[in-house]
Amino acid sequence: MAVPLAVPPTRMELLKLRQRVGLAQRGHDLLREKMDALVIEFFEVVRRIQEARAKALEQLSVAHRALSMCFAIIGTLETKQASREAKRELQVEILTRHIMGIAVPAVEVEEIERNALMRGYGLHMTSSVLDEASREFERALNLLIELAELEGSAFAIARELEKTKRRVNALEYILIPRLKEAIKFIVMKLDEMERENFSRLKRIKAMLEERG
Amino acid sequence: MGFKIAVVGDQETVTGFALAGATYAHTYTTKEETLGKLGEFLASDEIGLVLITHRVAEELGYDFLWMMQTKRLLPLVLRIPDKTRYVPKVDELREIIKRTVGVEIMIRKEGG
Repeated sequence: MAVPLAVPPTRMELLKLRQRVGLAQRGHDLLREKMDALVIEFFEVVRRIQEARAKALEQLSVAHRALSMCFAIIGTLETKQASREAKRELQVEILTRHIMGIAVPAVEVEEIERNALMRGYGLHMTSSVLDEASREFERALNLLIELAELEGSAFAIARELEKTKRRVNALEYILIPRLKEAIKFIVMKLDEMERENFSRLKRIKAMLEERG
Repeated sequence: MGFKIAVVGDQETVTGFALAGATYAHTYTTKEETLGKLGEFLASDEIGLVLITHRVAEELGYDFLWMMQTKRLLPLVLRIPDKTRYVPKVDELREIIKRTVGVEIMIRKEGG
């Protein structure tokens, strides 16, 4: 139930309140539109996430299988040694893009797949299964980076969506009803005062006529 | 500006991504140590992406979720399955959709 605001019942206040209702209504409509646009954006991202996730997870399990082979064939310690020797200088570009005023990450990555020479581990002690495993993991990493970008955007949009929804609801269910209630209160009060005045004038008129 | 990649997880995951070129790696040992390391990764300016396995993330529990809530936009944190393809039953994205939109949605393939 809307609790009316405590306002003095004056004509001035009524004008002010009417203005506020108009403003709140406009804000509400704008936020509504923003929310709708965000929902559309959000679903687009979610759809892309599902595709990207399926691909990335598939590739990741392929990579794990290749790594298990590698562990089995050249040995756990040797593989770990190679991973320590490997060049680990991979860099990704992360920019922030703005969708409707929300900062979302945009990741760009250059050549992630390297050839055996660029990886940096010694070639004469390692076998081709290690190259295989590295390559699969590079591919998986590439897909995962894409996925991370999408998930980052989804979380950012979701957070904004939640905020917008709260604002829309606050306006729709709290502020606007309260203002309307207050306007009603003032109108009633003013009418009542006018009626009082009217009867008072009548009475005075009657008294004057009696005397005169 | 280039950002580097960090991995937190079990032996296999860490080894694999190190082979693929991830610069920082941390193998899960104890909860406290991993939390400290993760905090370090999140605070670092040169790391752009942190990969963490679902299993470790779950092990860290509430502290991890709290870190996710309070972190900056970068680095991005992505949870990945480990070699046993372990993924938690509760899909976080679906939970978010349920909370924000208020309904559960299924997305089907187009034309399906």
